[in-house]
Amino acid sequence: MTWSGKLRAGLLLAGLIVLFGLVGPLLTGDPATIRDVGLTPPGDGHLLGTTITGQDVLAQLAHATRGSLWIGLLVGVMATVLSGVFGIVGAYAGGAVDEAFSLFSNVMLVIPGLPLVIVVAGFVPADQRGTWTISLVLAITGWAAAARVLRAQTLSLRNRDYVAAARVSGEKTWRVICVEILPNLLPILASQFVFAVVLAILSEAGLSFLGLGAADSSTLGTMLYYAQNGFALQREAWWWFVPPGLVIALFGGALSLVNFSIDEIINPALRERVRRGRDVVATTPVVAPADEDVVLTVSDLNVVYQGATPVHAVKDVSLTLRRGEILGLAGESGCGKTTLAYAVNRLHRPPAEVTSGSVVFDGVDVLALGPEELRRFRWVRLSMVFQGAMNSLNPVTPISAQLQDVLRTHRPSMTATDRAARCAEVLRLVGVDRARLGSYPHELSGGMRQRVMIAMALLLEPQVMIMDEPTTALDVLVQREILNEIKRLRDELRFAVVFITHDLPLLLELSDRIAVMREGEVVEYATAEEMYLRPRHPYTRQLLASFPSLTGERGALIR
Amino acid sequence: MGYHLRKVAFYLAALWAAVTLNFVIPRLLPGNPVDILMAKLQQRGGSVDPAARQAYETLLGTGGRESFAQEYLAYLGNLLRGDLGVSVSAFPAKVSDVIGDSLPWTIVLVGLATLISFVLGVGLGALVGWKRGTWLDALVPATTMLSAVPYFWLALILVALLSSGLGWFPLNGGYDVVLDPGWNPEFLGSALYHGILPALTIVLSSVGGWLLGMRNMMVSAMSEDYVLTARAKGLTGSRVMIRYAARNAVLPSVAGFAISLGFVVSGSIVTEQVFSYPGIGSKLLQAVQNNDYALMQGIFLVITIAVLGANLVVDLLYGLIDARTRDRSTVS
Repeated sequence: MTWSGKLRAGLLLAGLIVLFGLVGPLLTGDPATIRDVGLTPPGDGHLLGTTITGQDVLAQLAHATRGSLWIGLLVGVMATVLSGVFGIVGAYAGGAVDEAFSLFSNVMLVIPGLPLVIVVAGFVPADQRGTWTISLVLAITGWAAAARVLRAQTLSLRNRDYVAAARVSGEKTWRVICVEILPNLLPILASQFVFAVVLAILSEAGLSFLGLGAADSSTLGTMLYYAQNGFALQREAWWWFVPPGLVIALFGGALSLVNFSIDEIINPALRERVRRGRDVVATTPVVAPADEDVVLTVSDLNVVYQGATPVHAVKDVSLTLRRGEILGLAGESGCGKTTLAYAVNRLHRPPAEVTSGSVVFDGVDVLALGPEELRRFRWVRLSMVFQGAMNSLNPVTPISAQLQDVLRTHRPSMTATDRAARCAEVLRLVGVDRARLGSYPHELSGGMRQRVMIAMALLLEPQVMIMDEPTTALDVLVQREILNEIKRLRDELRFAVVFITHDLPLLLELSDRIAVMREGEVVEYATAEEMYLRPRHPYTRQLLASFPSLTGERGALIR
Repeated sequence: MGYHLRKVAFYLAALWAAVTLNFVIPRLLPGNPVDILMAKLQQRGGSVDPAARQAYETLLGTGGRESFAQEYLAYLGNLLRGDLGVSVSAFPAKVSDVIGDSLPWTIVLVGLATLISFVLGVGLGALVGWKRGTWLDALVPATTMLSAVPYFWLALILVALLSSGLGWFPLNGGYDVVLDPGWNPEFLGSALYHGILPALTIVLSSVGGWLLGMRNMMVSAMSEDYVLTARAKGLTGSRVMIRYAARNAVLPSVAGFAISLGFVVSGSIVTEQVFSYPGIGSKLLQAVQNNDYALMQGIFLVITIAVLGANLVVDLLYGLIDARTRDRSTVS
């Protein structure tokens, strides 16, 4: 079901129950009328049968639903207001107010709610326990979780540019909160309100079932209390006991559906529909390798993102990579260069599909590999260094564990000492102190993390390394160091590199050959020297011209 | 301040708040609990001398004879000595003894049920998220629906179907009453047998929350770069799922343990009542029905301390599984 489908189904079901609570009591007559037809099963006259004293269950159910919904609404509104005050206002005010409010919310959160409600209800004499008292107590014990969520969200909102702009321009605090912040919190407020209503109805049912509910109300909980004390289940009068619980469950279920769809509105990652199709739809038969010196051949590769409007991200791309060569892949963002790189290692995710073409790696037809063969192929023969090296490391384990993982999986016979030695060895190759092995990613600088990623890519001495914008996020000096490192390692270890970047001048200096990509196609493919001296395609010339030279003249490329 | 110290300080503050709440509630609410208690005590044949009255007044309020501060200090003093007063519903037993007898039952039942529910929910949630787009997706609405069902209603339906109907499980109680409580196999077996249905109720009702939260986090984690890296590294599917995706996705579930534990404890009180389980939840209700205010307060305090303690343990464990928390200097 899509999110809008869930929202519709949930709202419809919840709406029907609300309607039943609103209109039902008007149509069903007095629920308290006692007749001498005790425990009649459902049938003519009494659609849902009667209670032990002959009261009509349907009439009781309608009144009880109204009572429960009313309490749910009261508590929902009060709890949402409380959580708004403590969550939003606290976070917006910041400083000591925020500290105090947040401490208070957290304390209220860890004190268990229902025991507190029971104690309070126990102290208040039954005749003074009204609907408002019970609602107020439930609201006071039920707002804290929502306040915490709202606070986190407000904290991130108040630092956004448009909020800062409004504050700087001298808008009043209440106006900033109401106009700039509240609208953005609406989905979360709605979801917390829905949650508070469900929780209140459930808690009230529990309280009433225990005989501690409001004295002046009739709710689904009191109905269950009477059903239980009338031994409804022991007398097999399921029609008396089951419906009230079912109404609660259905209402709760309906509102959860609403909450699911709100979740999906807030977090688009949950929304997208997943088709678990094959990553390779069709391939072209592989022709025998022409040249012993070639390690990777991509021929006529096509990758399509299958969606409502399919996007042809890689079109008929053919490339060859020789042993020890650095192949540059240049193009603006969105030109398909990353998709191409992922497809070579079959890392592209649905809805992306390889629709035709072939990838041959040193005689192996990569697109024909089974899942287990593919797994054994990865990293052993072809390793990768990703765009966001900052996020490519698992934040919760030390880097030694992430390096060791590779050896454990691909070199199961290696001893622990050998593994540790190898990890230290690759770190030395990229110039990172072996003492860093025990560090967590957040303890390393950006440049150091990138070096660790390169070290990881070197672990199994692969024939090819694909580097996807490995230096883009780094400052110029660190970038320079790392590029020199890559060149040195390539000379030392003789692996081939596919280097992806939007920075064509950088490639001119680094690569042996360069492919320029635009809108999924390779528009020019030549040696670096050729491309520098005689760029043929207008787009290549445009790319070269767009980088200023150090002397300030546009287009005169000197680095 | 270090992470651990900060956590301990927070829970001490929460404990203080709970203790104070316990002190304030009977004094702010209407009604005259001390008189009711004295009347009950007399019915039970207890001594109604001024000393007994004073003991209850320390707990529940003197009606203005002593200052608030004096009462508060006397109350704290009694708490520190472990003196929670005398229960009138279980007269002449002391409140602390009544609690001592019933607490182990609840801790074992609720503790085990919560653990099972957490492990099951998080495990299934990870799997549902990982295998997104398969039939497993149906588990999410199914278990969410179960958590919208009132605990006691589910418990009673289970009893009607599995105990009365099929006769698989006992109707109620914590053990076979012909046995003497003790560390012998018969008794333990009986206790285990009697605990299955209450535990099943708690697990069924609470598993949905864990499952949904874990599944959503798993979906988010799977689009993270470190999962892509792990796949590119050629690690086995189960290793990527557990060590990379689930290892990160579980953090919010652990951090949110406090919220969920509150729900479970609340639900289990009602569940105990349905099963007449000899735990602290049934005792709390027995106390409320008999206006046994001293027992009521004592139980509230003990439940709160238990919940705070469990949360403290989980929070300290959280520091172990996420190194970033330990290094963060700001108060979360």
